[in-house]
Amino acid sequence: MLSRRSYSTAPALLKTPLYKLHESLGADFVDFAGYAMPILYKGQSHIESHHWTRNKAGLFDVSHMLQQKFKGPDTIKLLEKVTPTDFKALGQWKNQLSVLLNEQGGIVDDTIITKHNDDNTFYVVTNAGTREKDLKFFQEQSQGLNVQFETIDNSLLALQGPEAASVLQKFTNEDLSKIYFGNSKYITIPAFNNTEVHISRGGYTGEDGFEISIPNTISYELAQALLENESLKPIGLAARDSLRLEAGMCLYGHDLNDTITPVEGSLSWVISKSRREEGGFNGASKILAQLKDRSLVKQQRVGFKLTGPAAREGMEIFSIENPEQQIGTVTSGSNSPSSGNGRTNIGQAYVQRGFQKSGTKVLIKIRNKLREAEIAKQPFIAPKYYREP
Amino acid sequence: MFSRSITSISRQSLRLTSLRASVRFNSSVSHKITPGSIITQYSSTAPQVRYTAEHEYIAQHADNVSFIGITKYAADALGDATFVELPEVGDVFAKGDSIGSVESVKSSSEIYTPIDGEVIEVNTKLTDSPQLINEDPLGEGWIAKIKAEVKVEEVEDLMTEETYEMSLQDEDADGH
Repeated sequence: MLSRRSYSTAPALLKTPLYKLHESLGADFVDFAGYAMPILYKGQSHIESHHWTRNKAGLFDVSHMLQQKFKGPDTIKLLEKVTPTDFKALGQWKNQLSVLLNEQGGIVDDTIITKHNDDNTFYVVTNAGTREKDLKFFQEQSQGLNVQFETIDNSLLALQGPEAASVLQKFTNEDLSKIYFGNSKYITIPAFNNTEVHISRGGYTGEDGFEISIPNTISYELAQALLENESLKPIGLAARDSLRLEAGMCLYGHDLNDTITPVEGSLSWVISKSRREEGGFNGASKILAQLKDRSLVKQQRVGFKLTGPAAREGMEIFSIENPEQQIGTVTSGSNSPSSGNGRTNIGQAYVQRGFQKSGTKVLIKIRNKLREAEIAKQPFIAPKYYREP
Repeated sequence: MFSRSITSISRQSLRLTSLRASVRFNSSVSHKITPGSIITQYSSTAPQVRYTAEHEYIAQHADNVSFIGITKYAADALGDATFVELPEVGDVFAKGDSIGSVESVKSSSEIYTPIDGEVIEVNTKLTDSPQLINEDPLGEGWIAKIKAEVKVEEVEDLMTEETYEMSLQDEDADGH
């Protein structure tokens, strides 16, 4: 039932500063964007690690992601050229999900951008799989602008789940109850010589939590110390994917790519109101036209659910009225451990205009059999962000 | 260049649909049919058991009635089973045909029949309890019962328990 993949001489995989910790915790590794990343840890199945994160807290190594600091008088000019987001209006120490756009309005990457203490200093996190492309993109886009790029060679840990805040609180005198979803801050860790770490409240699971950027000098020991809390377990990429799918979040390269606009990607909400009026960002003419006239949106990203076998990436979607007519393609799919008693499968897909409404029944071809599925609202679980009251 | 763990991924990785899972060969894992299970209780004599390179097993009784399922090694590699697609009673299959699939959260794997024959019963318990595939793959987690046309001894490419376990060790040792 399982067939073996033959390996040619594989290039050496990169390792994060926490590689040895994963190894000591009995991780199984996979190649993710050229990095050896833990997929599962010893003693926990995929479903167990998924539920642990939803019920307690999980620690994810996301150090493979690209962290940069942008500085200089033209930083906002650059950011407002390459994204459709209003960064003048963003408050200090606030972070914002956005998308990097090419001249055709296609999404180069998705990103979290944080404004620091002034309009000239931003912290930018982008995906590991797009590292080289993004670095080149920023270089090209900043021609003639006064912006300095500094790659931050820190470890990045995501602490996610309802107990994330209480786990982290034990390591800092900073009152974490005052740091809300979408806020960022440098905090010090007294137990590690008051080392400064950068925390952002949020994450990629739909749970409350933090992404913590930590100097490599202490990241291994800090992760180890955090894991002494019995509410916290290390969680691998397997659960990271099922958690983000339930939270309705995109995985770049699967659910988004260079040819998809934010409107097609159902990410119109990252286009700030002021930018809809003033435009001026890459691909604005196409994107703003799509916002005004939805008939220009030929396909759109949707969520779907079904029972029985799960739909997987690449599977074809057909119209129920006319099963000969392909109307879409699955871009991500998985069982959903946290909805429907573990018997519901969920996913993301692109469907033609006219099929994007929640409740629309469609057919998905799974192993040569057409199965009924329903277009469904995302997220599939209610997010539990710690929002400012 | 590679550390030991990384090398072991490339050695043992099994092709799954989305993510590659790996399992380490563990000599303490038994690939025997679970004693006292429905498979052994079917008749008073012990079934003849054989294994495929794709990690299915077949346990054949004297009247050619054969239980088909996946090995413990395969179940461990898949992880938590979330859905099992069963064949239908009356389906006739030739060796190598897909008779169904086992899914985990992130992957789907086909189950291929090791022998020609007709499906006479399927394990409907798996519909509500797919986790039986993980808990007891060589017992309560059997998948289909097939009336085989031939004896397992006559089928090419099937392995005895000893050969199968050796093949897992080889899988662990080769590569690079």
